[in-house]
Amino acid sequence: MQRRRKFWFAIAAILPTFLIFGWVRMYPIAETLRLSMFEWNLLSKNKLFVGFSNFRELFGDDQFLDALTNTAIIAFGAMAVTIPASMILAAVIYHRTKSRFAGFYETAVFIPHVVSLVPAAMAWKWIFDAKLGPLNAVIVGLGGEAQPWLFDPVLSVVCIIVLVSWQTLGYGVLIYLVGFRNLPKSVYEAAKLDGASGIQSFIFMSVPLLKPITLYVSVVTLISGFNVYAQAYVLASDTQGAPGRLVRVLVLDMLENSFQNFRVGYAAAEAVILLTVVLLLTIVQFGLLRQKGGK
Amino acid sequence: MGSAKARTRRNNAIIDVLLFSICLVLLLPLILLIANGFKTPAEMLTWPPSILPQNPTLENFRTVFTETPLLRWIFNSLAFAILSMIAIVVTSALAGYIIGKFPFRTINIIFILFLTTAIIPFEVYMIPLYFQVKALGALNSIGGLLIGYLVMSFGIFLIRQNVIASIPDELLEAARIDGAGEFWIFWHIVVPLLKGPLAALAVLAFFQAWTTFAWPIIVMTRKTSFTIEVGLANFQSAYTIELSLLSAASAAVMVPSTLAFILLRRHFVEGISASGLKE
Amino acid sequence: MLKSLRRRTLAKVAGLSAGMMMVGMVPTQAQDVVIWGGFPELAGYYERVAESLSDKYPDLNVIVEPIGLRDHEKRVALGLSSGLEDATILELIGSTANRYIVNDLLKPAPDSVQDFVNDDANFEPFFQETATVGGSVYGVPVFRGQGALFYNTDMLAAAGLDGPPKTMEEYSDYASKLTQRDADGNPTVSGWSLRLSGGGGGIAEKFWINLHQFGGSLLDKVGDGYKAGYANEAGLATLRQYVNAVSGDKTVTVDMPADAAAFQREQTAMFIRESWVIGDTAKKAPDLNYKTTLLPRGSIALPVNLYVSGGTEEAQKAAWDFAIAANQPEHLIWMLDNVGWLPNRSGVDYASVTEAKPQFSAFVDLPDDYVFFTLPSIEPINEILTRFAARLVDAYADENLVGDDAAMMAVLEAAAEETNTILDRASILAK
Repeated sequence: MQRRRKFWFAIAAILPTFLIFGWVRMYPIAETLRLSMFEWNLLSKNKLFVGFSNFRELFGDDQFLDALTNTAIIAFGAMAVTIPASMILAAVIYHRTKSRFAGFYETAVFIPHVVSLVPAAMAWKWIFDAKLGPLNAVIVGLGGEAQPWLFDPVLSVVCIIVLVSWQTLGYGVLIYLVGFRNLPKSVYEAAKLDGASGIQSFIFMSVPLLKPITLYVSVVTLISGFNVYAQAYVLASDTQGAPGRLVRVLVLDMLENSFQNFRVGYAAAEAVILLTVVLLLTIVQFGLLRQKGGK
Repeated sequence: MGSAKARTRRNNAIIDVLLFSICLVLLLPLILLIANGFKTPAEMLTWPPSILPQNPTLENFRTVFTETPLLRWIFNSLAFAILSMIAIVVTSALAGYIIGKFPFRTINIIFILFLTTAIIPFEVYMIPLYFQVKALGALNSIGGLLIGYLVMSFGIFLIRQNVIASIPDELLEAARIDGAGEFWIFWHIVVPLLKGPLAALAVLAFFQAWTTFAWPIIVMTRKTSFTIEVGLANFQSAYTIELSLLSAASAAVMVPSTLAFILLRRHFVEGISASGLKE
Repeated sequence: MLKSLRRRTLAKVAGLSAGMMMVGMVPTQAQDVVIWGGFPELAGYYERVAESLSDKYPDLNVIVEPIGLRDHEKRVALGLSSGLEDATILELIGSTANRYIVNDLLKPAPDSVQDFVNDDANFEPFFQETATVGGSVYGVPVFRGQGALFYNTDMLAAAGLDGPPKTMEEYSDYASKLTQRDADGNPTVSGWSLRLSGGGGGIAEKFWINLHQFGGSLLDKVGDGYKAGYANEAGLATLRQYVNAVSGDKTVTVDMPADAAAFQREQTAMFIRESWVIGDTAKKAPDLNYKTTLLPRGSIALPVNLYVSGGTEEAQKAAWDFAIAANQPEHLIWMLDNVGWLPNRSGVDYASVTEAKPQFSAFVDLPDDYVFFTLPSIEPINEILTRFAARLVDAYADENLVGDDAAMMAVLEAAAEETNTILDRASILAK
């Protein structure tokens, strides 16, 4: 009886959001994905049904496979940097909450997340510059060898991971800070009485207690990592006289296929693959970070 | 006792130094960006870039403010971002709580659907959405712009995770036994406990709308209805970028951005201390 | 009595004329004409044209809305396929417009505009053709992108070179002599800056410009179809020159600063670019001593035309009038002088500009045998260019290709096969 009442409350409460989602997300997405079975040039009134031929072509398309690999590396790379870095940074900032600099720390870490990419990229190209960049200056100063960061096939991917992480770090720190502030303080006080050090209570208390937050940050960074494209574009753009190697990523390939090559169906087929791959990865993440209480 | 206190103080000083240097590294690209706003086109060309402008000029800022409706664009962005923020916070709070605490099969399926929509980038499916907005006759209006930004999968997900992490089932059951209605529980127990996450969500939703580009550029085609991010694109030509102007405009835009963040941040810090379940 | 009659008549006349004024106001109501362009630097030019029309159309309200080229093309695609509300002047490259024309999304220009464009006194056949589809004129030519060689005169003098290179062999030769090196022999200033990396099809487009000098073409038109035209001697000569510059003579490296910015910073002695570089350099490096010269055989020309769509008949008429007014010599001279894009109209005297800025003469004073080529209006053109570009980037960086003609030919043949596959899929591969 009570269960039924709860069920109907839940349905009624979620219905408006669900309807909006249906209208502004699910319907246009379904419309787009449906096109993966068609050949369409964006303008013509006719859409030619081609079955699975777009998918067959995709698996023999080196450019697409290259994009898929690069995107996966960038997504996992950015996730591997962002999660530990933002958790530790948030812990330290949280520790200094009472400091008069706390506001400055949070703001400084967050602002890169909201700043315009194109002018910021100018600075990044300088940092990565092979001849005059500060990064190579530091490396050479430490006895290493200068690297052509933006031109080497491997290093140019690293550059994108760095740029993406710089942008995402503030997001992660913000979320973790909320997590830390919401942790029950009584548990910490008990641990302190038992003689646990700050680092011990971070590792043995905070990290497990923050599992739901870590799940959130890892899913969000992975999904956004798979959606990266502007970063690859600005680092390769030559408008500032310092071009770079274009790292082909999935969304860039998709947008190019639909808006410049006018192969909307083909781009939609790429979107279907993206959806499948990322959905599977997300399910794995939910499995790995499952904890009691969360269904 | 006194030495322990001294040690704590010393540790804190070390942490502060460390945090300061990290922040400095993170801000370095932005410092350069702001400096670029004060450079002449000729100085922009020097490579490596000078960190401090040699002949600082206000010309870029003057051009940006007099020759473009920058304030109008900021106002448009502000209106859009605030409305989008409100819509997202309201829908996410309710849906996130329901998904976190009402583990019915139907609800779980709805959650999976919500999350799945986040995987496809907005740029890829915005064309059908554009036609939906066009059919409503809502092009070139804040309303039309808003249609793309009424809901946020990650927002619902964020609230769900925080509900799971910080709201015990026992608390809700106790209220139910006391005869409280479901909506009363949500409003009087859940929302106050979620002040921190909701404020963080407000920050994220606000800046998501503030920085979005691909959607406004197709929905808002009139210069007067541009959002700030679209306006900034005007400094880029097919082959060149007016980088000094663009930097000046971006630096000017960082002022309201930073203010908005500081304002919202203050709210969620206070939000935390006001929520009661801590001690 | 008479007085009152007169008064009544007066009142009637007044009323009538007021009524007439009301009627008369409908057609002369403020008319909105929107201009969508992909080159924000042209906003001033359009505003001048609009001002000059204010006598003829006192109520015309021209709204200039330029944005970056990529975004412009996207909004045009969406706007045209869903219908534009206001009368809109669209600034489009001929090959781009062709897609809309074959899909019935643009209408032919009215007769008066047809006559204006088809008048040989106004435009050369090359430009008439880019605005014409199936015998009808759809747009009005305005300006074009076109290349020339820019060279730093101080560096040429320092290297003892007298005058610019004239043949492609001389280009390589000059590049070697102009390259400045550090103690280890690594180039610090490139002799001839080539497009070796970066995004998209630009790399293939630059390759095409050089290929053109060797007498080749990236795509050959055969009958109604096309096929890859670069897996041959001309293609090989072009690729050989690139590979040799990077890995043989080492006159340029992949990671060196390149393009206009490098030229303005004196990090390269020569490069091929469009005329906008002149205006850009005047702003950023006013003291640079440089000249321009014609390319050995001819240049790419990407003509941009004005098209009209949407709005009332009246507003459309005003929009077409605007497109013609945009071709007034005084506006075109202003554009060349202030923006640096090259007007397409014939018979305009640019001497006032080329005297003050002699660098423009290699763009507007052209010999009769100077051969233009342009990108063909085929749907997969961008895909062909970007995929070829990806292969070129790898080939340019491959040191093993130096001196190995067979290996270079293999690269070109593999790429040509891919190009032909794309053409075949679009059903336009020549048999």
